[in-house]
Amino acid sequence: MDQIITAVIAIVGVPLVLLGYIIFGEQIIERLPDSLQGWIRPYFWALPAIGFAGIFMVYPLIRTVILSFRNNADTRWVAWDNYVYFFTFPDTLTSLRNSLLWLVFYTFFSVFLGLVIAILLDRVRYESLAKIAIFLPVPISAVAASIIWKFMFDYQAPGSPQTGTLNALVGAFGQQPVPWLVNSATNNPALIFVGIWSITGFCMVIISASLKAISTEVLEAARIDGANEFQIVQLIVTPLLWPTITVVGTTMIVNALKIFDIPYVMTSGAYDTDVIATQMFRQLATSHNARAAAVGVVLFLAIVPLLVVNIRRFQQQEEQR
Amino acid sequence: MSEVFARVASRAIAAGLGAVMLVACGGGTSGGGGGSSTDVTVWSAWGGQELKAFQNVLKPFEEKEGIKVHLTTVRDANQLAINVDAGTSLPDIAPGPSVDKVKDWIDKGVMKPIETALGDKFNDYIANTYPALTTASGDNLYIAVVGGKHYELMVKTQVKGLIWYNKKVFTAAPPKTFDDLLAIQPPAGAKLFCAGFESGDASGWPASDQIDNIIMRQSGEKVYTDWINGKQKWTSPEIKLGYQTFLKEVSSANVYGGPNTALSTNFGRAGKPLFASTPGCLFLEQATFITNFFKEDYPNLVAGTDFDFFAHPSLNSQYDGNVNGFYDNFAMYNDTPAARKLMQYMATSDAQQIWVNAGGTLGAIKSLNYTDPIFKRAAEVAGTAKNLLVTAGDFMPSDMQHAFWKSLLNVTKNPASLDSELARLDQVQAAAYKTS
Repeated sequence: MDQIITAVIAIVGVPLVLLGYIIFGEQIIERLPDSLQGWIRPYFWALPAIGFAGIFMVYPLIRTVILSFRNNADTRWVAWDNYVYFFTFPDTLTSLRNSLLWLVFYTFFSVFLGLVIAILLDRVRYESLAKIAIFLPVPISAVAASIIWKFMFDYQAPGSPQTGTLNALVGAFGQQPVPWLVNSATNNPALIFVGIWSITGFCMVIISASLKAISTEVLEAARIDGANEFQIVQLIVTPLLWPTITVVGTTMIVNALKIFDIPYVMTSGAYDTDVIATQMFRQLATSHNARAAAVGVVLFLAIVPLLVVNIRRFQQQEEQR
Repeated sequence: MSEVFARVASRAIAAGLGAVMLVACGGGTSGGGGGSSTDVTVWSAWGGQELKAFQNVLKPFEEKEGIKVHLTTVRDANQLAINVDAGTSLPDIAPGPSVDKVKDWIDKGVMKPIETALGDKFNDYIANTYPALTTASGDNLYIAVVGGKHYELMVKTQVKGLIWYNKKVFTAAPPKTFDDLLAIQPPAGAKLFCAGFESGDASGWPASDQIDNIIMRQSGEKVYTDWINGKQKWTSPEIKLGYQTFLKEVSSANVYGGPNTALSTNFGRAGKPLFASTPGCLFLEQATFITNFFKEDYPNLVAGTDFDFFAHPSLNSQYDGNVNGFYDNFAMYNDTPAARKLMQYMATSDAQQIWVNAGGTLGAIKSLNYTDPIFKRAAEVAGTAKNLLVTAGDFMPSDMQHAFWKSLLNVTKNPASLDSELARLDQVQAAAYKTS
């Protein structure tokens, strides 16, 4: 009952308070001299948004950075101890390595395949059907996708019927089943593959939209000048798509660094499959808040430059319009 | 069963389903009785079936004594400690705290002796209850025996480390020693053991149960408890020997499908090959809850006729009395007439019989009636126990526990990595037990 009351207050009360703030505030501002009105009004309107962002984003960020330099109980400064732990402990180093693997392979293959598929499908009659098929995994939640693939990678004792699709296939060729998610040589590629499978459709759709925007006249002109199709893709289409590819690529890098659900659901980080985000969760789950904060800060610092690149791109595109 | 529930619950929270926590937040506080002889406040962490069983236990007490029991489900194990630290009101009766707080709370007089609560019925309680739950040489914080006094009233118990088998396949007498067990020749095509260590984020815990049962019987309760408390190095000969013995259970020669199958199989499905038309293995080590999974896979199986278990065989006859298990207890935090009455009632076989009838558990009293043949047998195992030793990982700091589980997966996969895994565990141990 208490929770319902709280929910009603939150849903009805908060907008009411904001509305009251605007109505009463405006009444006060209107009584001010005109020159002052023009100066104060934008700040007055922006204040609630800035306030929310400050309380829910900036403040936690600052607290996280501070906590990462303190002991776990938050009573004492420990300088770089939490970071030293992160960069020296074997488990966290493994997670760092794996995140790097994700960053390189997940980003490259999802963008590359997205590009290739978009270009190829642009030239066939059954384009929308094929696009739907490729896009289908995107709306599936990553947890569900991971569970689906956990079944696909399933391993049963050699000699008994293989319920996992992949091992059934391997068995059809008379080979021994492969413990995909246990074997260190196959588990990280398997997880990254699931990531690529679930995101390629997204890359394809964005790139394809931008591909449609390339005027056919440019392509016609190139053909008349004697360019073959490979040259057109290589010399005309790809350069024209480059801004889009950069945006998609940086988004995928951010995704790769933040990836959590797939490793968590499929292996829970066992057999050296932890990534930075699962490591952060692990530290939190074992009550090492300060260490988790340090991992969070490292992850944040890794992502910031990419966000800057992305925002610059958007601004450039806005200016071009 | 509560242990399994706890794991499921912790996984649910881990998965981001905060529902369980929301329930805890709604708990609220309940005032102390203030010497009441008509009202008693009780906290427990139980929900679902277990809560229902407890309510059934309380009903006859309320009717007979005319005392109103105010029962609150408090899932957050820390809530009691928060109240103790803050000096706010405590429930009259609630489970004892985590082991690290027992001594402190007794010194502060937070927990009242069971001797006080039970009065002249105390001697009956000691005589009726499994000795492993009440007797200690010196202090034993796990069962809250300090300075010769008892501070936790034992009401339920469970034993683990049972070796399950298909009665149609294994017909010989149970092996006496672990070597006898390893020497048994499985039928053609089958291996000695089945195993399943996969359990999501908690993967490895079934393996930890196996090694717990080895170490406590191989090197004794002193080494075992020191090991839990971070005072026994992982690289020490005793723990290393435990790992080596465990590796015999999961070697390619002895485990169904080889180590990769053990690692890829969920603990609940591990027993399936026991009952296959051509059996894949002879034995599966697990607690009593596994029978539910047996019946899920093969609904027609009958406990006691189709499958049964024997107690973990001996590794060192000196330590045969060490049995792995867990127990539920209540401590008295406010000494009121009503609280004393309820404590006295919960120590009776009338009360515990109601618990036992609800199924899924053993009582703490030796002479209860079990309709389920499995629990009847489990009660015999509990009766032979000299020390009922807790599951090691559950009482280690959580990063130690996680590293422990992970190490078992890694050595199962690659036995050659044993030394480096143990060295890494020492590294974790050095950091995990520090309070910072």
